[in-house]
Amino acid sequence: MPPRKPVVLLLLATFVAVPTIAQNASPALSIPNTTLAINSPTPLSQRVVHYQIDAKYDPKTHGLDAEETLTYHNLTGQALDIFPFHLYLNAFQPTSTWLKETKRDGTRDVSFEKWDSKNYGSEDIKRFEVVGQGDLTSQLQFIQQDDANKDDRTVVQVHLPKPIPPDGYVEFKITFHDKFPKTLERTGWKRDFLLGGQWFPKVGVWWHGAWNCHQFHGSTEFFADFGVYDVKLTVPQFEIVGATGVEVGNVNNPDGSKSVSYHADDVHDFAWTASPHYKVYEDNFQGSMGPVKLNIMMQPAHLGQEERHARILKQSLDHFERWYGPYPYKTLTLVDPEVGSAAEGMEYPTFITGGTTWWMPKGLHFPELVVEHEFGHQYWYGMVATNEFEDAWMDEGINSYAEVKVMDDILGPRTSIINQWGITLGERELQRLSYISVADLDPMARNGWQYASYGSYGGITYGKTAAVLLTLEGVIGEDTMRQAMHTYFMRYRFTHPTKEDFLKTIEEVSGRDLRWYFNQAVYGTQVLDYAVLKVKSTPVDWYKKKFKEKKGETEYQSEVVIQRKGDFLFPVDIAIAFDNGDKVREHWDGQDRWIRYTYQKKAKVATVEIDPDHKIHIDRNNFNNSDLAERSEKPTRKLMNYWTFVTQFVAQLLAWWMV
Amino acid sequence: MNDKPNLLSSGAAIVRRNKRYVIWFFVLNFAFASMGAAAFRLHAASLLDRSLYADGVLHGFDLGVFSEMLGRPEFGSIQAATVPGMIPAVLFFVLTLIFLPGVFLGYASDRRISREEFFRTCGKNVWRFVRLAILFAIFAGIVGGILGGIQNALAKAADETSYEKLPFYVKSIGLTVIFLVLTAIRIWFDLAEADVVIADRKAVRKSVGKAYRQTRANLGRLFGAYVAISVVALLVLAIGLGIWDVMVPPASVLGAFLIGQLILLLLLATRFWQRAVAVSFYSTAVAETPVENQPAPVSLTVAATPQGDGI
Repeated sequence: MPPRKPVVLLLLATFVAVPTIAQNASPALSIPNTTLAINSPTPLSQRVVHYQIDAKYDPKTHGLDAEETLTYHNLTGQALDIFPFHLYLNAFQPTSTWLKETKRDGTRDVSFEKWDSKNYGSEDIKRFEVVGQGDLTSQLQFIQQDDANKDDRTVVQVHLPKPIPPDGYVEFKITFHDKFPKTLERTGWKRDFLLGGQWFPKVGVWWHGAWNCHQFHGSTEFFADFGVYDVKLTVPQFEIVGATGVEVGNVNNPDGSKSVSYHADDVHDFAWTASPHYKVYEDNFQGSMGPVKLNIMMQPAHLGQEERHARILKQSLDHFERWYGPYPYKTLTLVDPEVGSAAEGMEYPTFITGGTTWWMPKGLHFPELVVEHEFGHQYWYGMVATNEFEDAWMDEGINSYAEVKVMDDILGPRTSIINQWGITLGERELQRLSYISVADLDPMARNGWQYASYGSYGGITYGKTAAVLLTLEGVIGEDTMRQAMHTYFMRYRFTHPTKEDFLKTIEEVSGRDLRWYFNQAVYGTQVLDYAVLKVKSTPVDWYKKKFKEKKGETEYQSEVVIQRKGDFLFPVDIAIAFDNGDKVREHWDGQDRWIRYTYQKKAKVATVEIDPDHKIHIDRNNFNNSDLAERSEKPTRKLMNYWTFVTQFVAQLLAWWMV
Repeated sequence: MNDKPNLLSSGAAIVRRNKRYVIWFFVLNFAFASMGAAAFRLHAASLLDRSLYADGVLHGFDLGVFSEMLGRPEFGSIQAATVPGMIPAVLFFVLTLIFLPGVFLGYASDRRISREEFFRTCGKNVWRFVRLAILFAIFAGIVGGILGGIQNALAKAADETSYEKLPFYVKSIGLTVIFLVLTAIRIWFDLAEADVVIADRKAVRKSVGKAYRQTRANLGRLFGAYVAISVVALLVLAIGLGIWDVMVPPASVLGAFLIGQLILLLLLATRFWQRAVAVSFYSTAVAETPVENQPAPVSLTVAATPQGDGI
């Protein structure tokens, strides 16, 4: 695509002028007030950083050489003389904390028993200069604040000879070399494909009076300050490139390479991709703040699914804009990564990765699920930039809740994930299922790297949070919950809110004290499990000699006992149906361990159901939530029929070939 | 004029004439599978029979409800519920091995053989069929293993390219080739089984050798018939499952049962059709062989027994 002239000029201005001024006169340093990449006349965030990176990528070696200029605005209110930086790619080394945890707890992507050293990743700082303070490369020191693993080199720290005063600026000039790993998780290369994520030295976040710059862990994601990014990527001309922000330059160089430049405003990360095979599909969405250009970069084998991807992307944008707030960026790039690259399903500002296969039937909504989920992160991570290391549930979980709501609305509550060959699966069921298997292992409010296992991390941060918020919706009402989410988004977008910011917003909007719920659901590991313990209908005149039961005439004494098996206290409704059609509804506060209801009627109890409106999504066992007076064997017979069919088929297949 | 009989139609005629074998084997398989499914039923019933939540698997097939059922401690381990269902599959294979000689005899005969003849033939040929099954497993295992290894290596190489569909194509072609080669080996051993029974040959290796020569000399004809029947079997499966999906309401347990069993019955019949093709071919080949080289078809000379005792 030819570059747009005004845009190129603007980029050149920021690229050339700002570093020059910064080098020569530090007091004149500033973070640009550009709005090129957003549909807003003014900046949207309190911009702390300005990254200018000039990088050259060699697809043959998967290596990258770059010059990074980082301007940092000290808004901490105190002088700073220590600066920590993430070097995420050093996680892909055999002795890193990331690898140790991954081997111990499992990972979201590939598992590996053998690992060829040529597939490792690394991020080496060749030169580190603080403008006005000299070359401090020799002062760099790796730190390991989370686990004291001395071999972990994912965080490096520098002590400045001269502190940076409050409201002052500092400019770092960093020369670094990356070796991208063969993708194990999120970033790296596979075949001709590259996903460049977490690829440059990135300063930590000053948060609550201290630096927050965690090591790269097996399960955790990221945390960074908002700012402006100007990135020039030089790659071979055959590569098709996509990245965070808006493309502001694309120049062919005489050596067969090309330089593609990007500018991004009010974001906290920058990711990019390159592959010679992408087929780019462009679309537009008219957002409430202005038009959004959609770049959908498809694998050639997935052509024919671009409409499917565009549709769910636009539907998601529409839902989020209506329910939560505006999408302010001018672009959104959806990357369909190389299959099996372990780069599927990842979010970066204005840049997300999906995941599909060439054979994906329309009734399997996995591509929609991934695209919707990663798009949702533009809100819950991208704009509401919570600390993904410490509060993973606030991005993954809140996003999973939003995902349930959006996917239910678009594809139906029971069919939002699978609706194929008579088999169905809904999003809310999937979230609940992932939770109930690890229900009592970890609380939601836990550092991401301290979960019992990767399964627990996933089940709690995604599944439990979604189920907890869906259940909360049953308590305060769907409209109130949506209003609370909208308020939370509008109030905390472009900031780093805490868990209490979120919880207090819900209490404020609902006008209710919900501590009883949050203490159990968010901070605790209590498990909710209600059960129908006993259902019995006894004829009142059972002792009489000539007693004979007659439907509609015999009077019964019925008792229903409900038990709270778990330690999670929660009020519940109970529906009791009698065999003459009468229905009774009870409400129990759930404070005691059990409760008995008795009825005297000319009818027997036919069914008892706890939570008949299905508002509770955190009940660990849904099977014991109801009881039928008369057994119904049809479901069992149906499954047995299926199983018999399978075993007969296997038997015939064996006999077909072997004799 | 081509005086060779059409193997497909002659085989079909044999199966039609001896429908009872298909029925008996089908009943046998169903009975075993039903017994094997008892454990599954027991496990599932404890959760489903008294719960409204079970509606999710009755009115449709809610994978969430099904998965939750499998994960519940009350359901027990999946192995405990499912392994008993696989034991009958092995049992059915063993009984097929035992009773198949009788079927071959029945197929080779132009009359209804007696129950005594059937079981005597089965008893006489058990060990021969076991040996044939072992030989088949060795041949098919070696050939299938080599081809499978080649296929995996090619698929792995294809996976290194940027053409996402290539590994699928390689695997599909590989599986088709393996299927066709194994079908050829199956023809060979079906003919050997026919020879063992009809010629009452104790030396299995001679039957294997003879069947090999016959297969090699008539591969095109036999192979065409077998592959055609396999295609019919695939169509039966695909159409049957399609009808099940489209026409049977999710809550219709009886409807699902009937269509499922019909599919299995027809699938079983197609394999018997292949065996009948082998017998038909063998009988023709024997008829064309010079008299002095013909083995004495012992079983065929057994005196007819009253119709009611037939099997």
